Amino acid sequence: MVDFSLSSDAESLRDMARKFARTEMAPHAAECDRTSRFPEEIYRKAHALGLMNLNVPSEYGGSGLGLFEECLIVEELAYACGGMATTVIANCLALQPVLLGGSPEQKQRILPPFCATYQIASFCLTEPSTGSDAGAVRTRARRDGEFYVLDGEKAFISNAPHASLYTVFATVDPELRHRGVTAFVVPRSAEGVTPGKDEEKMGHRASATSTVHFEKVRVPVSDRLLGEGDGFSLAMRTLDHTRTPIGALATGIGQAALDHAARYALQRETFGKPIAEHQAIQIKLADMVQEIRAARLLTWFAAWTIDHGGKGSLESAIAKCFASDAAVHAADEAIQTFGGYGYMKEYPVEKLLRDAKLTQIYEGANEIQRTVIARELLRGYT
Amino acid sequence: MEIVVCVKPVPEAESRLRARPDGTALDPEGVKFVLTGYDESAVEQALLLKQEAAGSKVHVVALGPASRTDEVLRASLALGCDTAMAVEGNPASQDDPVAAGRGLAEAIAARGARDLVLFGKQAGDDEEGLVGGAAAEALGIPFVGFVVDLHFDAGTSRLRFGRSVERGQESWESPLPLAVGLQQAWNDPRTATLPAILRSRKAPIARHPSASAAAPTVRSVPIRFALPPPRQGAKMIEFKSPQDAAEKLVRLLREEAKVFP
Amino acid sequence: MTDTVLVIGEPDGAGLAEATLEAVGVAQKVAGPGGVVVGFVGGSDAASRAPAFASAGVGRIVLASDARLDRAPPATLARPAAAAAEGVGASVIVLGGTTFGRDLAGSLAIAFRASAANGVTEAERVPEGVKVRRPVFGGRATEERRLEGGRVVLSVRPHAFPAAHGPGVPLVAEPLPANDVPAVLLAPTRTGIAAVAQGIGPSLTDAAIVVSGGRGVRAPENFHLVDELAASLGAAVGASRAVTDAGWRPASMQVGQTGKTVSPQLYIAVGISGAVQHLIGMVSSRVIVAVNNDPTAPIFRVADYGIAADLFQIVPALTAEIRRVRGI
Repeated sequence: MVDFSLSSDAESLRDMARKFARTEMAPHAAECDRTSRFPEEIYRKAHALGLMNLNVPSEYGGSGLGLFEECLIVEELAYACGGMATTVIANCLALQPVLLGGSPEQKQRILPPFCATYQIASFCLTEPSTGSDAGAVRTRARRDGEFYVLDGEKAFISNAPHASLYTVFATVDPELRHRGVTAFVVPRSAEGVTPGKDEEKMGHRASATSTVHFEKVRVPVSDRLLGEGDGFSLAMRTLDHTRTPIGALATGIGQAALDHAARYALQRETFGKPIAEHQAIQIKLADMVQEIRAARLLTWFAAWTIDHGGKGSLESAIAKCFASDAAVHAADEAIQTFGGYGYMKEYPVEKLLRDAKLTQIYEGANEIQRTVIARELLRGYT
Repeated sequence: MEIVVCVKPVPEAESRLRARPDGTALDPEGVKFVLTGYDESAVEQALLLKQEAAGSKVHVVALGPASRTDEVLRASLALGCDTAMAVEGNPASQDDPVAAGRGLAEAIAARGARDLVLFGKQAGDDEEGLVGGAAAEALGIPFVGFVVDLHFDAGTSRLRFGRSVERGQESWESPLPLAVGLQQAWNDPRTATLPAILRSRKAPIARHPSASAAAPTVRSVPIRFALPPPRQGAKMIEFKSPQDAAEKLVRLLREEAKVFP
Repeated sequence: MTDTVLVIGEPDGAGLAEATLEAVGVAQKVAGPGGVVVGFVGGSDAASRAPAFASAGVGRIVLASDARLDRAPPATLARPAAAAAEGVGASVIVLGGTTFGRDLAGSLAIAFRASAANGVTEAERVPEGVKVRRPVFGGRATEERRLEGGRVVLSVRPHAFPAAHGPGVPLVAEPLPANDVPAVLLAPTRTGIAAVAQGIGPSLTDAAIVVSGGRGVRAPENFHLVDELAASLGAAVGASRAVTDAGWRPASMQVGQTGKTVSPQLYIAVGISGAVQHLIGMVSSRVIVAVNNDPTAPIFRVADYGIAADLFQIVPALTAEIRRVRGI
């Protein structure tokens, strides 16, 4: 049997995240967006309340949430601010390879100290000339006795300017392509690690993004996750796990767009009545709510599938792809509903489109999502 | 110090209020009952006093239907209370503050030691502010309401606090036992952490059996719940001079609106 | 139920609090034409308070002249007051719904074995007992309750009823025969009181009356008109967002969506146009009065009474009239 209602346990988690999002995050969203400020004081509060290390099991000091619960929380945070939610998700993303590929010794050594105090981690896969084609990473890892020496540059790395820990994907031999990719855990304090300047972005401006330069960084073998050449599949399994919360993030942005548009439509009057009574606006709102609700349910289904042991590649790709497109569509229509006011930065809706757009690009561009969907789909027919 | 804090599940602040079809009471359909307002401050104050008086325990108690009490009890446990007790009370006591006070007193007395019993100043829904005084009298302990700035001196085992009254702020001191109606804690209510919320979902809740099911004859019965009729627009006062306008307005306020400046 | 009603006097200044006199008025109504209202006062100076009852038309007073009550919690009066009510055969006890009265009411209900209601805005005798009306949910709704079973305690919301005034009657004061209050209840002690600093007035969210000023006041130098009107009413002062954004008054005084929400008995909006953002903060006030030069201002849609005139003329006249009526 299915049950589409939330248990009171799930509701209490969601309500806690909603309260934090609306009272601590939302009041600062516009200012952080305007000034491109990384609100460390908010992230510190989130950490103190257990909202940063959502996916880390409680025995290592995290909140030990399943994917479904994580999605409930991420949607609430994103409703308040997409950028702040991205900081949280990117931190969880960076820890996921350790959870999936770390040995018990590595997990015990790395995770508890990380979770105990306020710290941020970054997932370093993308490079200036390597995005979707993850097998083609050029950051080099050369074995030297009990160490690897890392050289290379990563780009568009969320949290990088503020991270104390980087999960880095480098290749031991570019000729091997994806079979050479290897994963490492690298502390900020290691000599030769240099994060770049925070990039000026279209949206998610409360989140920090930069390059990370690795120059002759010595990484002990004990900080390699799994074996040489295991990195690509580790990265893919990680992304399988983290695609779904992006669906939740996009849903949160889309829901905010819908709420703003609906409330405005009830107040604003033209031709003698609220614009909510004009069919043109009603059709927009109807389309928005259909897509946002579908996005949420697809995300819930993907999370449920993975929590119940399924691989979830198809489901999570569908959720991420659909929800991000829905968020962009909803934000666009919300601006249109507000008319001239929607174009003004004083009103909250134009930020939503700038934030929604990134969800179509990061964590696997939607073009890749569609090829994944097709591939997984067709597997079912052969 | 054994601290008991009594909380009431009330509709959350953003609830849309609607009367039941028969007009007698609030329609609970779709309404979420939460820990809020002065009760939230009372829980916070209890937890702050626990820090001030080492070795203290905080026991949270709620009276009402189980579907409502359990949520506020778990929320209180997640904030840091040590034990939780749900008192069902008879149906009459759920709507009658004096009966609720009696029911709580019986449960608190049965539970065991209590040095300090904390209540919020008044519930967010009925705003009667009767339960604390009633429970205290039934327990045979003193009661002071409108309390602010409550502190415990572990050396003397005495409490000192302020009481916010119309004229200003009184200062008080008292030995234990004491029951207090709290207006304000010295800090803003804390937020429960995610791990604490997860633990609270599995924590045990003690249940105090309902008192006699028969409705007492002495009781307060809610008979009508109404939202104010939508405003029709101001009665514009016609006047010959400013003094005339002033006199007319004051007379209307006294005699018609029955608001007496 | 008998038609004898006991009113509990709250000492204030040299006499009794205004709320007690309001309670007398309600007691007279509930007692009915043939009924009797008896007063009760506790404390070492109880006897000196009795004349204030007599001036309000209450001739029989029971005194609990007990110095131990002077600095004890108001709730300590519960047992003596219940004993007094039983002694005179009263089945209803009425008191002012002040901090004093509200603290006492719950304990009194248990001591008197009565049902109770705090802060009522209407009270009427019915066959089963007393029917009352009171605001709930911060003033967003009202409820009616029937207090049944033969014994009732009720406190009346301050400023909701007129104070009883005369005719003065001869005074008969009698002591309460016995006053047994257990020592444990007398243990909490009031050690002092610090008066509210002048010029601040009651807190915005707790005040029974709020006077707010808006952009129509035109300049910060003129805001004293709002302050003076508020002072004459013993009211809290609020402001619209335009005023706080302009820095004429601190943001803590802002009433509105992004400021405080108030639901006093009476809200007077001076020079406020009534933008939705402000209305959200005060629309659940029981009675709203608006003074604004512009008769089409949106505030008049939600106000109960409106004066469309120059506030610089109306507000001083209103302040003067209120002072005259209140004798201050």
